[in-house]
Amino acid sequence: MMKLAVVETKLLTREPGALFSLLIPLFILVVFGSSIQPGDTVLLPMALAIAVGLVALYLVPTTLATYRERGILRRLSVTPVKPGSLLVVQLLLQLVLAVTACGLLMVVAGTVLKAHLPTGVLSGLLVFGLGTASMFAIGLLIAALAPNGRSANGFGVLLYFPMAYLAGLMQPPGQMPAIVARIGEYTPLGAFRQSLADVWAGNAPSPVLLGVMALYALVVGAAAAVFFRWE
Amino acid sequence: MAVIEVTDLRKRYADLTVLDGVSFSVEEGEIFGLLGPNGTGKTTTVECVEGLRRPDSGSIRVLGLDPVGDARRVHEQIGVQLQQTQLPENLKVWEALDLYASFYAAPRDWRELLEEWGLADKRNARFGKLSGGQRQRLFIALALVGNPRVAFLDELTTGLDPTARRATWELIKRVRAGGVTVVLVSHFMDEVEELCDRVAVLDRGRVVAVDTPAGLAEGEHRMRFTLVAGDLTGLENLPGVTGVSTEGDRVVVTGTGEFATVVTAHLARHHILVGDLRIDKRTLEDAFTALTGRTLD
Repeated sequence: MMKLAVVETKLLTREPGALFSLLIPLFILVVFGSSIQPGDTVLLPMALAIAVGLVALYLVPTTLATYRERGILRRLSVTPVKPGSLLVVQLLLQLVLAVTACGLLMVVAGTVLKAHLPTGVLSGLLVFGLGTASMFAIGLLIAALAPNGRSANGFGVLLYFPMAYLAGLMQPPGQMPAIVARIGEYTPLGAFRQSLADVWAGNAPSPVLLGVMALYALVVGAAAAVFFRWE
Repeated sequence: MAVIEVTDLRKRYADLTVLDGVSFSVEEGEIFGLLGPNGTGKTTTVECVEGLRRPDSGSIRVLGLDPVGDARRVHEQIGVQLQQTQLPENLKVWEALDLYASFYAAPRDWRELLEEWGLADKRNARFGKLSGGQRQRLFIALALVGNPRVAFLDELTTGLDPTARRATWELIKRVRAGGVTVVLVSHFMDEVEELCDRVAVLDRGRVVAVDTPAGLAEGEHRMRFTLVAGDLTGLENLPGVTGVSTEGDRVVVTGTGEFATVVTAHLARHHILVGDLRIDKRTLEDAFTALTGRTLD
């Protein structure tokens, strides 16, 4: 199991996609960061939501569907180690990647850009945990339903853009039609961004939005578990 | 001692019957072949034995254990090379062996396997950069890295060139010499003839024969020649001869066992002159056609 984790980590570092999901949000942060005021509370939550969204919708489904497509899960099921271990290792690793991406963003934003870092650490972690869980659940559902790695990647891209738009990651929600912004708040990525923004503004995150994220994580995650095929 | 015992295996997918009562047993230390054209249930059969699939009915014992119920204990003791599996593109050869070795309680030293299977110079190559033959050898090495008591090899020489096939056969013989029982799934006659101690011939989800390759190939042979001078009377009464007939200007003598030697001796003793003498031995291929009414490919 330990060796599996080591090997999978090596593989992840050889995967250009992993580097991209670290760099794209950082790039966005730096480009838009040049025009923010010190103490800004809007840009960093957006960048964090983008980072988690990229890992959950690009890397998670593509990696898992590719493993199934290549028969790697099947091959593991005839060894004493079961393919479930590989899924667990992969999910933990992707979680580490998402945390790393967010950590990197916070460091750069906090030092170079002098953006605001929140004081509510616990509520911040709670929001991060629920938001990541709901996004990973969607990634897992794509992995469960996509016939192969390529189509998993396609579905991920296809879902990412509307979700990012609704979440107010392409245009501030204030500039979106009110009804669209309202709907967007109840999408997993939208609830995540909004909750992060609440924490950044020094408020407690809305229990409704936390509940929305938890519900997505549970329902979509359960659907992924039901539909997941090993081969 | 039987290491694998399969009794009356049945499996249907929707309205397609894949296995229709498959039974056979594999003895310790032998190379056992499952032979048949594609789509006759060979792979489904081994996948049931490996615990990858559950049959609708029938019983399977591998080393005395149930491959589904006792999956972990069975998988600890078997090594499998599956058809159509890949590894991650960026995984290096040594990493794959090292990783798979870590799955087993008492693995073999993977460095030895690297040497044995001619992969030493590809140690640091990534899976995506390997040729078909190198991949195939890596898969076989991965099947052996757990130091298994039984190795399952499904179409192991597919994609190999003739030289590599011969080399692989020699290595499989060495695997058996090392005490590993080998179950070989194949649709290549020559491979089965060369390697297997016993063969189960599958056709449309049923085992139509289980025998040694030589035993399967046994039966009538044919001898043909043209008569130049002499009299063939009495030929049909020679030991082993089952028939004498003519095809145009050719004489065809059919028989079993050592009949050809007896016939040539008879011809010589009676000063019968013949030309264009040919002896057609029945092959496993003929046996297969006779058993199933169709050819392998």
